Amino acid sequence: MNDTFIAVLRRHLTYLAVGTPLDPDAALKSLGLDSMRAVDLVFDLEDELGVVLPDEAMNAATFATARDLWGAVSAAGASVGMRL
Amino acid sequence: MSTAVASPATLGGRTGDVVAVIREHAAAIDEAASFPIDSLQALRDSGLMGLLVPARYGGLDGDLHDLVAVSVELAGACLSTAMIWAMHCQQVAGIVAFGSPALRERVLRQVARGEVYIASVTTERGKGGHLLTADQAMDHLHVHRDAPIVTGGEYADGFLITMRDLPEAPPNAVSLVYAPRSALVLRSNGSWNPMGMRGTHSVGLVLEGDIEPDAIVGPPGDFKTVAVTTFAPVGHIAWAACWLGAARGALRDVLRLLRSSADRGSLAPESELLRHRIARVRMELDVMAALLARCVTDAADTERIEDIPVQLRLNALKVYVAEHSLRVVDTLIEVVGLRHGYLRDSPLRLERVFRDLRSASLNYANDRLLAANGGLALLDQGVHLAL
Repeated sequence: MNDTFIAVLRRHLTYLAVGTPLDPDAALKSLGLDSMRAVDLVFDLEDELGVVLPDEAMNAATFATARDLWGAVSAAGASVGMRL
Repeated sequence: MSTAVASPATLGGRTGDVVAVIREHAAAIDEAASFPIDSLQALRDSGLMGLLVPARYGGLDGDLHDLVAVSVELAGACLSTAMIWAMHCQQVAGIVAFGSPALRERVLRQVARGEVYIASVTTERGKGGHLLTADQAMDHLHVHRDAPIVTGGEYADGFLITMRDLPEAPPNAVSLVYAPRSALVLRSNGSWNPMGMRGTHSVGLVLEGDIEPDAIVGPPGDFKTVAVTTFAPVGHIAWAACWLGAARGALRDVLRLLRSSADRGSLAPESELLRHRIARVRMELDVMAALLARCVTDAADTERIEDIPVQLRLNALKVYVAEHSLRVVDTLIEVVGLRHGYLRDSPLRLERVFRDLRSASLNYANDRLLAANGGLALLDQGVHLAL
């Protein structure tokens, strides 16, 4: 997980206190990500990392944990020959 | 999809191939108000012209679910082409349900092979527009029909025509007859330069010729039975699927724009107003889809098709989807604004879909159906809903 990814993600995790490390396997839902606002996270990730998340990735599994989400983001990057 | 197809190709595969072709031609046929000859050829080659033809005649043996599924996809690419195809399927359904064995054998095999595209001739020009006469000595029926508007009439290979029955029959006796193009002399009158649905190339047509006596579809003089049990349900379902498909296609294109990082900055996808509008659009599509699915179930229950609550729903489907598919596209134009929504050369082509869908309330007029439903609703004091 690169720093930009973590920084963007943290902005959307309202229950994750500043200074607390992000556990890659913690449920994002429990850290304050709600499905209604997941699209805003997608927009921010796409804008700041320059990737486009495919439709197939728009499901609950993608947003389950930071590790899952990073998997989708890095796969989207790799599909266009980008190293994140 | 529930169809049992005649070859290994899936219905989704056949449809996807055709969608690619008709999408390519959609703008040009709209611009020129010309019939989509290449798109129809793709439909002929795909086997989809025989979607509703039973397997024993070489067709795809599809049902109304399949008709809806294909209509929605085609209409997302070009509503004119989708309607041409869907109305052809409506004619085929009439022949499947009510054609004589000889007529079915003759026509349905040709339809399944993609050789015969059937147009519908049901609109009337006031009085005296049609005459069906029997020639006993010649053992044939003579057809003379003046129709003010026939979708795709100049390009059809066959016609299903409503005719006032033989002169000795009462004036309200209307028969449905099938006439192959080869048996007719056609005179096209009038030009075609409408607001939308420009590819349907619907022109006035005078048709005259001799047909076989076995080409009467359904009981002679009793078109009403064909209409109530088959033509109207299949027609309303097919039209609604096309209109819903066009509106769904518009939302899909708008979502693609909103989701694309290049364009979304100017469209403010984070705004509450935009989210409310998108929510309403999606809600309308879900409501229309639910009503459509219910009507497909209704139409399959031939025992109850004439029940008042069922007739109310089938009419409501046509009226509701006509109104709300247009409203959906109107809202989407508001969402994306002038540049993406109103310009004719915008890749979204919302203005074309909007013009096309404006025809929906006029095509078998909503006003007529509402008048009918008002009467029917007053009869159903118990207000029997599909619950």
